[in-house]
Amino acid sequence: MTTQLAPETVPATQPASAPAIELLHAARWYGNVVAVNDISFSLGAGVTGLLGPNGAGKTTLLHMLAGFLAPSAGTVKVLGQSPHRNPSVYRQIGLVPEREAVYPFLTGRDYVKFNARLQGMRDPDGAARAAIARVGLEDAMDRAIGTYSKGMRQRVKVAGSLVHDPQVLLLDEPFNGMDPRQRIAMMDLLGDLAGAGRTILFSSHILEEVEQVGTEILVMVAGRLAASGDFRAIRALMTDRPHTVTVRSSDDRRLATTLMADPTVFAVELTPNGLSVQTAQLGAFRRILAGSSRSAGVRLLEVLSADESLESVFDYLVGR
Amino acid sequence: MGSIAVIPEIARVTFRQLLGRRRTLLLILLAALPVLLAVAFRVAGQTDIERFSHRVFDTITVTILLPLVAILFGSGAFGAEIDDGTIVYLLAKPVPRWVVILAKALSAMVLAVALTAASAGLSGLIDLVPAGSDGVLATEAQILAMVVGSVCYVSLFLALSLFTRRALVIGIGYMLVWEGALSVLLPGIANLSIRQYAMGAASAIYKLPADTTRLSSDTAFLLAGVLVVAALVIATWRLMRFELPGGTD
Amino acid sequence: MTATNPAAAPTPAGSIYDLGYRHYEGKRNGRFYAMWSLFVESFRGVWGFGRPMTAKAAPFILAGIYALPAVIQLAFSSVIAGQISAGKSVELFTYGTYFAALYVFVFFFCVAQAPELVCRDQRYQVLPLYFTRAMGRIEYALARLGSLAAALFIVLLLPTVALFVGDVLMQPDAFKAAGEELPKALPSIPAAALIALGLGSLSLAISSFSPRRAYSAIGIVAYILLMEAIPAAIYSIGQTSATTWTDKLFLLSPVTSLIGATYWFFGQPIDPQYFQGSLAAADYLAAAIVAIGVAAAVLMFRYRRVPA
Repeated sequence: MTTQLAPETVPATQPASAPAIELLHAARWYGNVVAVNDISFSLGAGVTGLLGPNGAGKTTLLHMLAGFLAPSAGTVKVLGQSPHRNPSVYRQIGLVPEREAVYPFLTGRDYVKFNARLQGMRDPDGAARAAIARVGLEDAMDRAIGTYSKGMRQRVKVAGSLVHDPQVLLLDEPFNGMDPRQRIAMMDLLGDLAGAGRTILFSSHILEEVEQVGTEILVMVAGRLAASGDFRAIRALMTDRPHTVTVRSSDDRRLATTLMADPTVFAVELTPNGLSVQTAQLGAFRRILAGSSRSAGVRLLEVLSADESLESVFDYLVGR
Repeated sequence: MGSIAVIPEIARVTFRQLLGRRRTLLLILLAALPVLLAVAFRVAGQTDIERFSHRVFDTITVTILLPLVAILFGSGAFGAEIDDGTIVYLLAKPVPRWVVILAKALSAMVLAVALTAASAGLSGLIDLVPAGSDGVLATEAQILAMVVGSVCYVSLFLALSLFTRRALVIGIGYMLVWEGALSVLLPGIANLSIRQYAMGAASAIYKLPADTTRLSSDTAFLLAGVLVVAALVIATWRLMRFELPGGTD
Repeated sequence: MTATNPAAAPTPAGSIYDLGYRHYEGKRNGRFYAMWSLFVESFRGVWGFGRPMTAKAAPFILAGIYALPAVIQLAFSSVIAGQISAGKSVELFTYGTYFAALYVFVFFFCVAQAPELVCRDQRYQVLPLYFTRAMGRIEYALARLGSLAAALFIVLLLPTVALFVGDVLMQPDAFKAAGEELPKALPSIPAAALIALGLGSLSLAISSFSPRRAYSAIGIVAYILLMEAIPAAIYSIGQTSATTWTDKLFLLSPVTSLIGATYWFFGQPIDPQYFQGSLAAADYLAAAIVAIGVAAAVLMFRYRRVPA
């Protein structure tokens, strides 16, 4: 698995062949709106999470990889070919779109078979059965998709997209609507496929989803690639950064003196709305806060962390 | 080519999309109306039965039933998939785009022909055929008009549905304004009217008494062929460049 | 993110947090205000205001085409006046016959815009969002109907205004002419109201039965065209077999009865060139009023039952 910002260097794990997915200064704009802005990276086998807030351009990027959109500038290559206006490349690509709609009148089995036949497979029945088994949908496969729950619909879409055992699997928000158990099963499946040498790229706007499956991530913000690499490293960069926490207590002044003694705190400001505390490590600070307030005999009224949303994390990454 | 083998597969899905339960019933009722009128004429013991039968064909079957059914199926073959977003599943397949267009067009044409030709054929069987060999020819001519008309309307509005989501409303406008109101005022429109192609083509078998037939059968077949080929080529060209809307909607 | 520290503020097993949302304590305007708001919003929607340019195309183009002949007549009014004074007979659009000549565009306006008003609410299942507010099901239906009828009323009156100005300008003394023309033009207002209600209630009632715009549009066209064609076909049989009642079927034709009814407003006998049978303008007026009542009742009935 390689994720790199500098595409000129060939990934070490695949010295001979071209990477499965390769973007070089790829950009896409609609009129005056730039959805994807000068993105370069290349991916080999493995699971990669494409992380970013809503509207960051994840779907546009995936649609470019799936050949539904031409890049306005730069190049997009999948398995060494440009996917745009090149239907033959779909033999090697599986795509799970974000929209939930699946033909509601077909049964799960018929839908997966439909995909197998359109992929020109020899034994559509056998392939469909195998794909349905992979997503664990055997019990419901003879029911109309219109009766499926959201999670089942996601799974039947995944079954349809991997029925032809594609080399590259692109999934747009695949964990939407899944319960935690289904999510873990799906992550295991993606992990298995990656272990078999497939290249898997999935998008998500929820940090925790990616945490559990993607060892490698790409972070997109406002159409640009903001970070890439190992998830834990980036997660640490995201969390171990200056946080501002607002604390209201029965005696702000006394609490401030206690907090200043702590090494995780590097600034405390007294405001009419309470204490504004700057800390480097949010988790550690939270643990310390309870003890400090008790030892100072101060009653905590409210602890407010102003900037913990995913967007603010991305803002932070972009702002650096 | 091997890829043609997927046409029945796409057709099966398209049939299901175009034939919902309630709306199919309504369309069958619509197609049954000329037949019911034909029965009514027969039962009423009309002496001038052929004239009435032709009148129903001119004022209902050709001008209302045929365009409505064919425009609905033609614009809906892709329209429903584009609206729902399920078109992704068709596009993300290693199937040449012309095969996808052909499969969709054939499905819509089969349904449109089935409904309209059955309607014209049954009406003719009840009212025209008993009158003798002219009646048989007239019925065959009417069926041919339905086939030619269906194929043309479906091709044109299938192509249009890949450019705009309001292809159906434009189709209804074409039918009401262009073929309805304007063709009465401007006879030159005959060269650009599918209704005229259908009636002209029918005259290869039998000269239907409609006063609106303005094209010779050769011209009609030629123009209809040009229209169908051009529409399907443009549809293929468009589908190759079809871009899915990005982001959530 | 708000978190109350459990160590500092010991709480019992369950509690409701005040997250700081403000309570509304002002005046509530009630269902009629809600209905009025939906009416205004729908009226803007029919014309595509607050929506992209593509949504404005259909209503404005159709209203424009419908008014165009009247505007052309206005533009050439001096030429026409010259011809009339030279003793030539010029066939002009009049207030009473304008709709009959160009109704197809108004009809098409309904086909294009009525489904826009009601279908998507059912398709995307947002009706509960309306019905859980101050507004009820009937108010919803009435507001939508009112907005379509109001839009149609404007479409229908635009050419009348153009005709009026043109007729006044054709005559040498504008003030005197205006006084003479006004009584002739005024019946256009109730006639336009009747047509707007007639076409509006019919097309909206049909639209409300399908969540897909395509099928609603097809339904409107099929119903209106067939109800025009079938009575004509049956009447033509009746004529040869000396049956006398078949002309009554024309009362079922929506456009025919609306056109017939306009003759009543203008106090003219109906034109036998276009109307077969022995029916009088008053018969068509009665039929049109009954048809509006039935269509409105069907619409209400539909919105009573529609799953929300």
